[in-house]
Amino acid sequence: MMRVIRAELFKLRTTPGPWVVLIVTLVLTALGIITAFVITIGGKGEFTAPVFTPQLRDLVGAGYGAGTVLAPIVGILCITTEYRQKVLTTTLLVTPRREVVLFGKGVASAVWGLFLAVAGLVLVAAMGIPLLVTQGGSVTALLHQVGPVVPGLLGAYVLFAIFGLGIGTLLRNQVAAVILTIVFVAILEPIIVALVHHLAHVDLNWLPSRSAAALAGGLTHSAGGGGNNTGAGPLLSWWLGGLALLGWGVGTAVIGYFTTFRRDVT
Amino acid sequence: MVTAGPAEGTIEVHGLTKTFGPVTAVRGLDFTVEPGRITGFLGPNGAGKTTTLRMLLGLVAPTSGTATIGGRNYREIADPTRSVGAVLEATSFHPSRRARNHLKMVAMAAGIDGSRIDVVLDMVGLTADAKRKVGGYSLGMRQRLELATALLGDPAVLILDEPSNGLDPQGIAWLREFLRHLAGEGRTVLVSSHLLAEMSQTVDDVVIVSQGQLRAQGPLSSLVGQAQSSMRVRSPETDRLVAVVRAAGFSPRQVAQDVVIVDAVGPEQLGPVLATNQVVVYELAQESQNLESIFLELTTSLGGMPSVPTSPADSWPPNPPATGTGQAEPAWPPPPSSGAAWPPPPASPGGPA
Repeated sequence: MMRVIRAELFKLRTTPGPWVVLIVTLVLTALGIITAFVITIGGKGEFTAPVFTPQLRDLVGAGYGAGTVLAPIVGILCITTEYRQKVLTTTLLVTPRREVVLFGKGVASAVWGLFLAVAGLVLVAAMGIPLLVTQGGSVTALLHQVGPVVPGLLGAYVLFAIFGLGIGTLLRNQVAAVILTIVFVAILEPIIVALVHHLAHVDLNWLPSRSAAALAGGLTHSAGGGGNNTGAGPLLSWWLGGLALLGWGVGTAVIGYFTTFRRDVT
Repeated sequence: MVTAGPAEGTIEVHGLTKTFGPVTAVRGLDFTVEPGRITGFLGPNGAGKTTTLRMLLGLVAPTSGTATIGGRNYREIADPTRSVGAVLEATSFHPSRRARNHLKMVAMAAGIDGSRIDVVLDMVGLTADAKRKVGGYSLGMRQRLELATALLGDPAVLILDEPSNGLDPQGIAWLREFLRHLAGEGRTVLVSSHLLAEMSQTVDDVVIVSQGQLRAQGPLSSLVGQAQSSMRVRSPETDRLVAVVRAAGFSPRQVAQDVVIVDAVGPEQLGPVLATNQVVVYELAQESQNLESIFLELTTSLGGMPSVPTSPADSWPPNPPATGTGQAEPAWPPPPSSGAAWPPPPASPGGPA
């Protein structure tokens, strides 16, 4: 099993896709960092240091929005590349037990998701802290928000990567899976949640982004888009949110395993 | 070198059947492949060769029947790449991945020592190109890389699906030599092809399939033995020629004023007879039914099917089984005896050892 996981990680890092995802994640995180310094004071946005807890949390979690959209793509690439480039034959010749392959891919996707999150946090430290200091903000105050924000942020990236793997397993078509996931997470889900909230007074807290928002509890609104808590009621508790998001990933992967991944490879 | 015992490398297929929806790609296939020999798995395109090999390798689930290597299903073999190497198609690489990394990826997942990578690269002559991305490889280079991948685990069994596709004549000659070498080391080599002519110089045994069914199995030499040879003689004295040949115990028949055909005889037998009797000969030619025509006969003349020797590929998908009134349909499936004259009994030990 360890060999399969190592090989899957090796596959990810020897193809350009996951590195493109990393670069885009860092770009979006950088935008998130800058946005965290745009503080609304008296109805006007000003570029200044964040002071209050929610503002500081937005700076620490500047990469959150990017993660909700990009971490799934890693999982999608991890599985759909096998079909797109017909590597699956080679993979299954080496590891004929498909459940082992899929599990290995799940772990590898999660690890790459974690890698993206950590890379984003490093960027926050390297870019956000100097910016905070030059704007006269308090580094100590910022560090106080690391504890409440970072675990949920890491968890969201990891679970979103697994969610992507599930979607990719289900759909197999790389382009379709990427587009569908981005459109759903970033656009459709917030609209559906808001509509249902206003029309039926029901909160769809179990949907992926809402679950992730609950997991990343400290982040009341996001910097990079997606997963925000506007337009609807309270979220799940953080652990239920994490469980729900894990459920989306594992659920889609299991369904995908039985419907597509066990099929004949011709 | 191969460490596995002979039984380890024996491929056995029993009653193997695969249906894809209404199409039966493989129909009750039975054959055995022995170690230390090159076995040609032959049939026209669409005969079910690839499906059979993929069932053997656990990629396609059989509808019924078994396909085992060393008595085990591929999926049950622990670290299968260490006992079975497979070359399936030249497209199973990520184009952005470097050749060496492709091998490293496989070695990693299979738990094969990284030092083997250089060994197999050298074996297939790709050492100089190992750092290039596979996307820039020619078809021939990809085939070599496939072969290198298959050899990573130093397997006792090699299964190759149309490995000469895309190879130039030198590449085919190289492959032939290479497979001969591997079989010489005691490995089992099963290689599919739709061209018998190309394989006839390479293989020891043949398994011939058509429309998903076994048509013939056994040593190539016994297939060659099937080929009836006859001699065509042009002579100014045909009357004396016929008399002499008949006296020698052969059966001549005059087909033209100066041409006689002697059936079931080779030049080695007929030549001395003519020389001894001092028959004037203008022309002496062997008219053998060549392997290719036997192959075509075996693979196209299936019960009820019109024989289309010029394009055997067109004969697939096979005559669909009658869905409605089976009565009116031509004989399908053909009676099992349709190929009975051949194969020889499976136990036949003939052929080069």
